[in-house]
Amino acid sequence: MLGGTDTVQNFELYNSYTPKTAFGVHAMRFEDERDDDYYTGVQHNWLLHRWNLPEAQGNLYFGLGAGAAKEDGQSAAPAGLGFFRADYETRRIYTAFESKFVGSEDVSRAVTSLSFGVAPYKAEFEELNTWLIVQLEHVSGMEDDLDIIPKIRLFKGPYFLELGCSLDGDPLVNFMIHF
Amino acid sequence: MNHPIILSLVGVWLFLSGTARAANDRAMTVKTTVDGMVCSFCAQGIVAHFKKHPAVSNVHVDLTRKVVLLEEKKGASISDKEITEFIKKSGFEPKKVERLPDSFEKVKADKKS
Repeated sequence: MLGGTDTVQNFELYNSYTPKTAFGVHAMRFEDERDDDYYTGVQHNWLLHRWNLPEAQGNLYFGLGAGAAKEDGQSAAPAGLGFFRADYETRRIYTAFESKFVGSEDVSRAVTSLSFGVAPYKAEFEELNTWLIVQLEHVSGMEDDLDIIPKIRLFKGPYFLELGCSLDGDPLVNFMIHF
Repeated sequence: MNHPIILSLVGVWLFLSGTARAANDRAMTVKTTVDGMVCSFCAQGIVAHFKKHPAVSNVHVDLTRKVVLLEEKKGASISDKEITEFIKKSGFEPKKVERLPDSFEKVKADKKS
């Protein structure tokens, strides 16, 4: 997955080596007028629980990462990442809560988001799926630390694209592909 | 006197063996009902896997009916266990596997089944 907003950028690449575990790399950049912080590390994610219901699915995920982080102008220091996600979706409603924490000697960032979405139509498997989503995102330590981001999510086949813009005018782009 | 009986038995045997051969030669449609399959992006792996399976000639996912349809190649077969195990491995919950004599296209088009 590649993407983010103007202030938080993300690059994630994972291999799901079992149905409940994935291992990969995760890089983040936190940038505003005051700060420019980087984190890069390896990460392991676990699917803690999945509820498969006739008309819905719910999931709990947990992840841990280890790597290095640096503040603008400083040298890199060992860093860790913690990640938690809960989501629930039907073919018409989508909700998700996600929290990531990156910590090192110099860098301490937490990104927490809450998303609500609706699908204007029930798309079939081969059709273009469209979701209209509002994402509330809080990034600790940033100048504008709460963003409200309306976005459109489109996916078809193995391709997934999200385009949005915060109420402050910051763009959001996320792209994902299933290999 | 026994000739009519023998001829009848031979006729029955020929009929039954022909019917059995026809059933084996016909491509069967396997319908698996699956819980949790609400997102086409998440179900991509199911189609990609079964498309490559040597016993499967066609795959279709119907999110409305919550089913995965497989068309078996003539003379080939994929076991119920193999189907359910892979669907579980993909993160979904298989509920029921049915083998239907109807053609794949007919089952795919029948939105009520």
